[in-house]
Amino acid sequence: MTLSEPFRTLKWATWLGWQIESNWAQLRLFLLYMVLKPVSGSLMLVMMFYAAKYITNGRVPTEFLPYIYVSSACYGLVGRVMFGLSNVVISDRENYRMLKYIFISPAQFQAYFLGRGVAQAAEGLLGATITISVGLLIPDVRRSVNYEAFDLGWLLVFLTIGSVMLWACGMILASAMLNMSRSGTFLSEGIAGVVYFLSGVVFPITVLPWWLQPVGLSLPTTYWLEGMRRAITGPAPAGSPLAKSPLAAWSNAELAGMLAITTAVLVIVSQLFYRRSLKRAWRRGKIDEATGM
Amino acid sequence: MTNITPFQLFYRAVQARTYPRIAWMYRHKTWIFQETLLPILSVSALAFVYEWMQAPREYVGMVILGAAMTAFWMNVLWSMGGQLYWERDSGNLELYIMSPAPMMSILTGMALGGMVMTLVRAIAICTAGMVLFDVAFAPSSWWLLALVFALTMSALYGLGAMFSSLFLLWGREAWHTVNLLQEPVYLATGINFPLSALEKITSWIVPGIALLIPLTAGMDAMRQILFEKQEPKFVPFLPLEWEIALLAILSAIFLFFARRTLAMLERKAKEQGTITVKWK
Repeated sequence: MTLSEPFRTLKWATWLGWQIESNWAQLRLFLLYMVLKPVSGSLMLVMMFYAAKYITNGRVPTEFLPYIYVSSACYGLVGRVMFGLSNVVISDRENYRMLKYIFISPAQFQAYFLGRGVAQAAEGLLGATITISVGLLIPDVRRSVNYEAFDLGWLLVFLTIGSVMLWACGMILASAMLNMSRSGTFLSEGIAGVVYFLSGVVFPITVLPWWLQPVGLSLPTTYWLEGMRRAITGPAPAGSPLAKSPLAAWSNAELAGMLAITTAVLVIVSQLFYRRSLKRAWRRGKIDEATGM
Repeated sequence: MTNITPFQLFYRAVQARTYPRIAWMYRHKTWIFQETLLPILSVSALAFVYEWMQAPREYVGMVILGAAMTAFWMNVLWSMGGQLYWERDSGNLELYIMSPAPMMSILTGMALGGMVMTLVRAIAICTAGMVLFDVAFAPSSWWLLALVFALTMSALYGLGAMFSSLFLLWGREAWHTVNLLQEPVYLATGINFPLSALEKITSWIVPGIALLIPLTAGMDAMRQILFEKQEPKFVPFLPLEWEIALLAILSAIFLFFARRTLAMLERKAKEQGTITVKWK
């Protein structure tokens, strides 16, 4: 095997992933799909904000809105890659019936997953960018965003470390899926929901019961989302309930450092789990097993 | 061959198609974790949003009810709408079409099996909502609640049966259509907030159009029944009687069109022989 082989697998897997994701419709319809799904998810939170605001006679602080909006847009990327990578196993194994051929081919199995994940991430990133742009059309979001605080440098840092984190998360789920039936797709949806709950995506981590806060603080997604929010909208305003978060006092460098450490742990765990799951799936004949449920 | 009546054939086919979905529940022990604990944690995030914003308790109740109903919507989309498309790719569709059993019985079996699976998930979510978030579901009438729920299910699964044929005809777009019918539908149907809030922003237009999806009227009607005694008073989008009538009409329409589209599908499959061609 030459050094270029994993890169060739990566390149073609990315191309294949993008084709599967995008060539089912004309470009205009595909773009509409790309916009509608993530924007609706974030707008649902906006509607929850307004519903709470109406019923409490405006007692909900306005800065909550950009917090939930930006977090939700960024989290779309997590959901996209996690759900996408686990779905690669299901669709390639049970729908296209190609997983066994990829497995026995000289292609690097993990590089193949990474390539498919890159295609998902590109779609997720585009969705997040469009969602945040659409959010700026909402007056309350537009007024609350501190444009001067936007920091491209830190955004790139968090995106870079975050992409490694997303790959590791996706690999854990894809590995689990190797030994599960088609119904396992709902597991990735459930895990994405748990991470959504524990990472302080739509509320500060202090709102969680005290015994769950350490769990949230052990997840790399918590630091990633805090970093992304801060790079896009700036730190929480002083005196706001958002400023009481345990991470509010951390500097960007501290956040990035902790994100890098937790991501490194996650990468190690994902690799060990991947090797174990792959060996188990191979021994149990799960790589070409289809489900009739 | 033993002689059996069309009714017996229908009943047996329903049983046969329901069986794998029920059997899965006790063969794959992961479902307990997957269908109960994980959805509870997911729904907790949205419940905490209202707690954080100090919204009244009934709003947390709306999120819990919304999560339970979302489970049914997901089941309708993935396990009904996308199912025939999936069956084609796994090679079962041609067997269904060739068999003497009517396709409607196959879809009824899928719906019943799916409903049982989803009911477990919905009950777990509602129980957790009552225990963890102290949500009081106090229906003004259990009978009315059962009627609205039954009508909502009938309309939803009728829609799912119709989708299953249409998605099969649409081919690979089906997968993306199913994906697209999640978040936008949650937004338009007000699954986590009262429709009256959406009406304030978009006038009646968005909630009015969303009434074509049974989830909208079903959820609004159930909220009226469940939260009638709570303060502040829940503001419905339409009177309860209208929503019940609408659900009954939608059930009849969707079941009628499900039969029509299935008949069209069977005819097309036999005449053109292309419906069972995989991966198109």
